[in-house]
Amino acid sequence: MTPKICVKNLSKHFTAGVSTVQTLDNVNLRVNDGEFVTLVGPSGCGKSTLFNIIVGLLPPDEGLLLIDGEQQPHDHLLGQVAFMPQRDMLLPWRTVLDNAILAAEIDGVARATARQRAMDSLDRFGLGGFESHYPSQLSGGMRQRVALMRTFMFDREIMLLDEPFGALDALTRALMQRWLLEVWEGEKRTVLFITHDIDEAIYLGDRVLVMSARPGHIKLDKEVALARPRAPDIITRPEFVELKRELLATIEDESLKAFAAMNRSVSDKEAGGR
Amino acid sequence: MSRRSSIGRFTAQLFALLAIFVAWEWSVWLFEISHDKLPPLSVVLSTMWFDRAPLAAAVGTTLLEAVLGLMAGTATGVVSGIAFSRSRLLERMFLPYFVASQAIPIIAFGAIIIMWFGNGIASKVIIALYLSFFPVAVNTLRGIRSVGEGEIGLLRSFGASPTAILFKLQLPAALPSIMTAVRLGASLALVGAIVGEWFGASQGLGVVLLMAMFDYRIPQLWAGILLTGLTGVSLYAAIVFLHKRIAWWQVEA
Ligand SMILES: Nc1ncnc2c1ncn2[C@@H]1O[C@H](COP(=O)(O)OP(=O)(O)OP(=O)(O)O)[C@@H](O)[C@H]1O
Ligand SMILES: [Mg+2]
Repeated sequence: MTPKICVKNLSKHFTAGVSTVQTLDNVNLRVNDGEFVTLVGPSGCGKSTLFNIIVGLLPPDEGLLLIDGEQQPHDHLLGQVAFMPQRDMLLPWRTVLDNAILAAEIDGVARATARQRAMDSLDRFGLGGFESHYPSQLSGGMRQRVALMRTFMFDREIMLLDEPFGALDALTRALMQRWLLEVWEGEKRTVLFITHDIDEAIYLGDRVLVMSARPGHIKLDKEVALARPRAPDIITRPEFVELKRELLATIEDESLKAFAAMNRSVSDKEAGGR
Repeated sequence: MSRRSSIGRFTAQLFALLAIFVAWEWSVWLFEISHDKLPPLSVVLSTMWFDRAPLAAAVGTTLLEAVLGLMAGTATGVVSGIAFSRSRLLERMFLPYFVASQAIPIIAFGAIIIMWFGNGIASKVIIALYLSFFPVAVNTLRGIRSVGEGEIGLLRSFGASPTAILFKLQLPAALPSIMTAVRLGASLALVGAIVGEWFGASQGLGVVLLMAMFDYRIPQLWAGILLTGLTGVSLYAAIVFLHKRIAWWQVEA
C-alpha cells in the first residue's frame, strides 16, 4: 500500500550568524491513509521544523516528500494540509465562529456557507453558545478547541497537529483526548500529532514515533496494538504499561542527550566568556 | 466597573472645566484685569451667542476641511504604508522623502498651495492631508510589520495569497496602530485647516481668529479660541470613539 505521507532522508539546518544548527538529520517516516501517528521527542529536536517542512512553509536542505506516492516540490502542499501550529494563533478581532471559518474562508468557501457549517459543528467541538465570543474571553482549553475546529473545518485529508493540548491542565487534556478520538473516528483523516506526553502518544496513536535529540531523526517506530475505541482506563492495562516502559527508556535517553548538549553549550559559552 | 469609573472621570473633568471658567470670570473682576487682555467669560459667551450664525458656519467650514483632509491623509497614509510594506525598494526610495517632508514647516509653502488650489476648501484639505498622512503611513507600516512570522505561516498553510494575507491578517492587525496615528492626525488636520485659512480664505475659524486679531475685537478673538478648542476636542473624541468601535481589541493609550 502506498503511504499517504512518506518522508525520505529529510535534513534541515539553520544558520544564525556564524553558528549552524543541524536540526533534522536524515528523517524517514511514513503515515498510512487514515492512520493516526503520534510523534514524541525531546524539546528542540526539530518536531515543529519537520511540520513546517511538510506543510511547505520551509524548504528542506535535502530529502523527499511524497504524498500518495507522488513527489512534492517543497511549497506545493501549501493549502493542501490542515495544519495546527503549536500556538493557537487565534485572531483577536474575529469571533469564535469567524476564527473557526478562517481556513475555509481563505479556501474560497463563501462566508455565509462556512458560518452555517461552523454553527452546525460548534456543539461537536464543545463550543455551543460561544460563537460570538472573542478569543480574549475564552479559557485556554476553549481557545485550543477553536484552533482545532479551524483545522478540522479546513477540509483536507491530512492533518498535522503540533501539540494541540500542550497548554492544558491534566483533566481538560484527558477530556480533549477522548473527544479528539471520537471526532477522528468519525472522519478517519490521516493525522500526524506531536506531543510531549507519552501517555497521550500511546492513547491516541496507531503508531508512536520517537525522535532523537538534535539533530533529529526517527529513533523508534512502535505499533500500538490496542483495539479501538479505547476506553480512558486503557492506560492502566499491562500492554499499555509495557509499551510505555519501552518508549520511556528511549525518550529518556534522548532527553538526557539533549540536556547534556544544552549544558555543554552553556558551559562552552561560559568558558568562552572567561 | 470600567463604565462607572469612566463616568466618574467625565464628571470630574466637567467639574474641573467649570472651576476654570468660574475662576476666569471672577479673577477678571477681582483683579480688575483689562478687558483688552482678558475679557470676562460672560462677555465672550454673549459675543458668541450674538454672532452664533457666522460662528457656526465658521466651525462647520473648518471642521469639514479638517475631516476631509484627515480622511484624505489617512487614505494616503494607509496606501503608502501598504506600498512600503510590499516593497523594500519603494520604502528605501520614498520613506526618506516622507520624513524630510515633515521637516518643512507648512508655513514655508502654504502660500503656494493657495496659489495652486485656490482659496476655497480644496487648498485647506490638501494642507490638512499633508500634515496628517505621515504618522498614518508610518504606523500602517509598523502595524503590518508587527505581524508574526507564525501567523503569516498559518495563513499560507491555508493557501492564502499575499493579498488575502494583507486583507485578512496584516491590515486588521495594523488597525489599532493606524487608529492611534489617526488620533494624532486629527489634531494635525485641524491645525492644517486653520493655517490654510490664514493664507487665504473667506470663511472658517482661521478667518474668525485673523479678523478678530486685525480689528482688535478681543471678545471675538476669545470666542474663536474657545470654539477652536471645542472643535478640536470634539474631533478627537469622535476619533477615539471610532477607534474603540473598530479596533477595540487593542486600544493604545
Ligand atoms: N527559523 C529558525 N531559525 C533558526 N533556528 C531555528 C528556526 N526554527 C527552529 N530553529 C531551531 O531548530 C531547533 C528545533 O526547533 P523546533 O521548534 O523544530 O523544535 P521542537 O522539537 O518543535 O521543540 P519543542 O518541543 O520545544 O516545540 C531548535 O534548536 C531551534 O532553535
Ligand atoms: Mg515544537
